[in-house]
Amino acid sequence: MKKKIFSLLLILILIVTGCSNSDKEGAVGEAPVEKSDSKTLVIANGTDLSSFDIHNHNTTSTEAVHVNMFNYLVKNGGEDGFLPDLAESWENVDDKTWSFKLKEGVKFHNGEDLTADDVKFTLERVAKDDTLLEYGSYKQIKEVVVLGDYEFQIITENPEPALLNRLSRLGSSILPKDYIETEGWDVFLEAPVGTGPYKFKEWKKDDRLTIEAYENYFGEPAKWEEVVFRSIPEDSTRVSELLTGGVDIAVNIPPTDLKRIESTEGVDILKSPTQRVMMLVARTGGDGPTADPLVREAIDLAIDKQAIVDSLLEGAGKVTRTRVTPGNVGANEDLYEKTLYDPERAKELLKEAGYADGLELSLSSPNGRYLKDKESVELIAAMLQEVGITVNLELLEWSSFNQKYQERSFGDLFYIGYGNSMFDASLALDRLKKEMAVGETDYDNPETESLLVTAESNMNLEERAEQYKKAQELIAEDRPQIYLYQLESLYGVNDRVSFEPRLDEMFYVDNITLK
Amino acid sequence: MKYFLQNLLKTIPVLLLITLIVFLLVRVTGDPVSLMLPETATDEERESLREALGFNDPLPVQYFTYLSDLVRGDFGESFRYNTDAFALVLERLPATFELAFASMIVAIIISIPLGILSAVKRNSFLDLFITGGAVLGKAMPSFWLGIMLILFLAVNTQIFPVSGRGGLLYLVLPAITLGTGIAAEMTRLIRSSMLEILGQDFIRTARSKGLKEALVVNKHAFRNALIPVVTIMALQTSTLVGGTLITETVFAWPGLGQLLVQAVNLRDMAVVQAATFLIAIFVILSNLIADLTYRLLDPRIKYD
Repeated sequence: MKKKIFSLLLILILIVTGCSNSDKEGAVGEAPVEKSDSKTLVIANGTDLSSFDIHNHNTTSTEAVHVNMFNYLVKNGGEDGFLPDLAESWENVDDKTWSFKLKEGVKFHNGEDLTADDVKFTLERVAKDDTLLEYGSYKQIKEVVVLGDYEFQIITENPEPALLNRLSRLGSSILPKDYIETEGWDVFLEAPVGTGPYKFKEWKKDDRLTIEAYENYFGEPAKWEEVVFRSIPEDSTRVSELLTGGVDIAVNIPPTDLKRIESTEGVDILKSPTQRVMMLVARTGGDGPTADPLVREAIDLAIDKQAIVDSLLEGAGKVTRTRVTPGNVGANEDLYEKTLYDPERAKELLKEAGYADGLELSLSSPNGRYLKDKESVELIAAMLQEVGITVNLELLEWSSFNQKYQERSFGDLFYIGYGNSMFDASLALDRLKKEMAVGETDYDNPETESLLVTAESNMNLEERAEQYKKAQELIAEDRPQIYLYQLESLYGVNDRVSFEPRLDEMFYVDNITLK
Repeated sequence: MKYFLQNLLKTIPVLLLITLIVFLLVRVTGDPVSLMLPETATDEERESLREALGFNDPLPVQYFTYLSDLVRGDFGESFRYNTDAFALVLERLPATFELAFASMIVAIIISIPLGILSAVKRNSFLDLFITGGAVLGKAMPSFWLGIMLILFLAVNTQIFPVSGRGGLLYLVLPAITLGTGIAAEMTRLIRSSMLEILGQDFIRTARSKGLKEALVVNKHAFRNALIPVVTIMALQTSTLVGGTLITETVFAWPGLGQLLVQAVNLRDMAVVQAATFLIAIFVILSNLIADLTYRLLDPRIKYD
């Protein structure tokens, strides 16, 4: 009997050690990264990357990895304008035609040459297949005409001033046509091939992705031998890995851990603005109280946005009166880092609007979608109460919130944070066009409308930017969206590397260097 | 063998019911399209994606399609990874098994000596200490225990790595986290089971024969006390699977539990369905195996 139990136990032990032994090979790569002369960079994300199908994901953290393995046609250099990447030069031939010239001698990781056929294959796939998640951002492309091995034209459905913005973001990495057509998508997804400075090495899902330097890269040679992107969903575990030197950079540090990291030697916190602007969206039509511009102004003046940033976000946010923040085409910087707060004036405005005895409003907000969303709206509700506005707060789980959002069935106000992967004012202000605003803000200012509509297809880029700036001024006055603050992301960084976080939250790992 | 086959057949309606419940649950808890597309997506884009994913069909039609695919071994495709859901689930099994077995071993190593000791030294200070510890072990939430272990043994003293899956060292903290709760349960059970046996006539006979106490406890009592313990060990399989959800997330352990948590968060239906289906089979099988193990431990038990 005893023997039987003993042998059962023995089998259990053997299985366990067997399992661990079979992973020994992997275990070598998984030992904590050695510091000092190491040529390996380790970055901890909160989620695993979702897929190598570059057209069928829309997560920034996935794209942040992809940018090291693939290339766009052009790079968005922010204030420096657009820079060549795979495309050597480009020209806007007419309103709907753009011609491009590719760099010669660019090779995919499998040795194939990059040609215009690859571009046609890539862009037409996402522009034509409406089941892909990125279809919405590329359907404006009508076709890609191949003129030669290294020359092609992109024809758009309508005049498309933001085409370069589209081509320098998620979904426009160029894929290897021949490899995918001969091997199939399944093979590509398991062993992806791009043109970037790093090539695929290994992906253990929900654990880590390892990429390694690609020796035939057409640009500057890769700086790291290997880069590991780990997936660590639990915030406190990610912070612990940073503190013990297990990872060099950790994303999404919770504000509550800020002081702990700052007081630890060898690690530091970096803040960087993001594209996400939090706001209250107000219904300007109908006969509700927020239809009165005075009430909307009073709401704006009653909320101390800076206090929310300081107390709830530990300073990780910037107040703003526009959604188009610096770094985006058409940003109105006069409205950035500006805020209005005057509760006394808010009370007067309410009196003027006929609500001297106070007023009741509904405010809906998702719970758990954005950083400290519940706490923020509760604080906002308390601030509004101070000036005599009673808020009926409706906190919803994201998918129920989203249901109402799609049905456009919110009451007076709702709290939301919009991102902008296009880095252009057009996407940011799209929902305020009259047609799009129906049932949501019902915003209707003919002057704003005409500015937004003409700017959308205006190929004179300077004039276009001015039109957007003017539109933002009008919107800031009319307040169909009451802007609160731009969220900042917090990175924990080991002192051995120097790293500058980017507005687009991408990790171009060659810009991260050993100190 | 006949008994085994009969029970295997009985699992079919159970599995069917499970597929139906899980199918309905993932659909009533929210719309995956809302999580897949950004806030700025237009109604048109949402609609075409919903159509492409087949969400516009009536629920019975969707369920029927799901079942008929299932019979052919097709669990559907993960939205998140754009690959076969069942393959994703299978890929994670070794990691979860590794953790589960290690936790079971931790539980056995802790609970058997402590359970016997506290029964033999009944009502002593040691007994009080052990049973008190067991209550505490059971009451401790595993995410808290995991985070504390990381803090003390990985961050402050740096004995073990913080997270991830690698060699044996990586296994220690998650196995303790997951094993503690089970050890607590088993300690209490072994104690009460031992106490019951120690009071029985054949033990008195053994003692009166002049057998050494150690022999009485180990050979006569413990062996008989093991039967209910094996039941509990088998029943703990479901606790174990439940525990991996939390433990794997805390330790970034790339197993089935973490896959399931992420899939639920993103309403990745195919993966949730495939994973729960597999877990159900796993729990049913382990209960069946427990039944068979009784025979091994006590030849008097016969199945007809």
